[in-house]
Amino acid sequence: MILEAIPPTILSVRRIHAAHESVLRSYGADPSKHTSLGLVTCDQDDSTYVALDEATKHAPIDVVFARSFYAGANHASGRLSGEILGVIAGPDPDTVEEGLMALVRCLEHDACFYSADDGATIAVFPHVITSLGYYLSEEAGLQPGDSMAYLVAPPIEATIAFDAAMKAADVRLVRAFTPPTQTNYAAAWLTGILTECQAAAEAYAEAVVEVARRPWDFR
Amino acid sequence: MSTTRKLIEALRERLGQADPLPSPPAIPRIQAPPTRVFPTARTRSCYAEQAAAHTAAILGIGHVGTRYATDVVLQFQAELAVAHDAVHTVLPDDWAQSQGLLPLKSRVEDHHQFLLRPDLGRRLDEESLERLRGNAIQDVDIQPILADGLSAVATMGSGIRLLETFSNECRFRGWTVGTPMCAKYARVWLQDEIGETVGARVACILLGERPGLGTGDGLSAYMVYEPRMGKTDSDRNMISNIHARGIVPELAGRQLAMMAGAMLDQKTSGVSLDLSGLTAELGQAASGGYREPQRRVRLVETDR
Repeated sequence: MILEAIPPTILSVRRIHAAHESVLRSYGADPSKHTSLGLVTCDQDDSTYVALDEATKHAPIDVVFARSFYAGANHASGRLSGEILGVIAGPDPDTVEEGLMALVRCLEHDACFYSADDGATIAVFPHVITSLGYYLSEEAGLQPGDSMAYLVAPPIEATIAFDAAMKAADVRLVRAFTPPTQTNYAAAWLTGILTECQAAAEAYAEAVVEVARRPWDFR
Repeated sequence: MSTTRKLIEALRERLGQADPLPSPPAIPRIQAPPTRVFPTARTRSCYAEQAAAHTAAILGIGHVGTRYATDVVLQFQAELAVAHDAVHTVLPDDWAQSQGLLPLKSRVEDHHQFLLRPDLGRRLDEESLERLRGNAIQDVDIQPILADGLSAVATMGSGIRLLETFSNECRFRGWTVGTPMCAKYARVWLQDEIGETVGARVACILLGERPGLGTGDGLSAYMVYEPRMGKTDSDRNMISNIHARGIVPELAGRQLAMMAGAMLDQKTSGVSLDLSGLTAELGQAASGGYREPQRRVRLVETDR
């Protein structure tokens, strides 16, 4: 069975209603406008980046911290660590709660990896963001509301698929993450109009499946 | 279903995986925002509650995070809209005639000017002055004047009822009552010129009062003994909040007649008028003491 959803597992969701100034500063928040923090760990970093961005569209929060862990969820430091720690900050607990609700909803119902082969030993993340929020738009140097294809796969698959995606659609490269990244995946962010982003993501997923089926095209 | 899921499903079919994907978990229904207006137990303060019992102002409404609850905002906007509507309503030119009243107009040219130039609203224009001299009964005891003031809505709403009640109460007491008239673009002090022209002993102007939140239909009545140009506010007595939720027009008409009686007896009005004998009848209008709070009418219906 290929291209089946691999749903992310949210490992923890915690809040700090009134965080200490030192914590706020250390995690990139601004004590003059942030009071409360919301923290999430999850076993899929890229789904979480997308979900953090989604949260900025639903509540006036800032994503102050989001970092993937080395070697990914299979080599986590503890059963709650997963692959990423995301931190959102807001002026009050209610705002953060609103943001967390959007974040969890996105992780449970939208963003996820897909299996590229039988047994899901290879995973691909061919995600299309219809309309960027404030977090990823800033990371990508795009405008909020732009469309973006957020494409992730293991190194060899990602490289072949990156090429296929660029050739399949009228898209522009925003940022390429060549291997090894922290989780040892590789990624590409492409932008263009929505239908072109969709075409790029589809070509990307198809190429990953193709490489998974035929790792050798030599001899 | 998300954009990505749809796209992957199509690709999957194209790659020969005909069996459908297991359906994704349904997106849960997003809960409707709470409809509660007044504070939850957590944010309710007994101070705000006690304060709210003494005023029609919007007090003790709680908060949602750093914001007002949605229905409080809706309520505020609805009430503000009522006030705006009332301020911007213009009394139709033919309204006075259609009600059988003598039509008068101040020196104001249009509604915009009326709002910006109170001085012009205190004088009659030439045409009205002539009409007043020619058509109005002269040398009367009481001259009631209906006017638009700051809320034509109020005038057209309960103005006639107040005018008739007041006039009837005066006739019942044996006084001569002047020609019923209606002044457009009128300020309170217009009663001085009108009263002086018809030679009235007491002039009483009934006009729409400045609209507040949720109250665009309030009338006020100002009365002066021996109206002359140059009388000031200290020469006047007034009753305000004449509307269904405040003093009803029928009661206000009777109270005004009693006040007029006191003026005729004491031959004065305003600060020097002694209303202490009428406290029981006039209630709050006769004293500067405690006033019963108005009942706040909710324009936006909510569960509480």
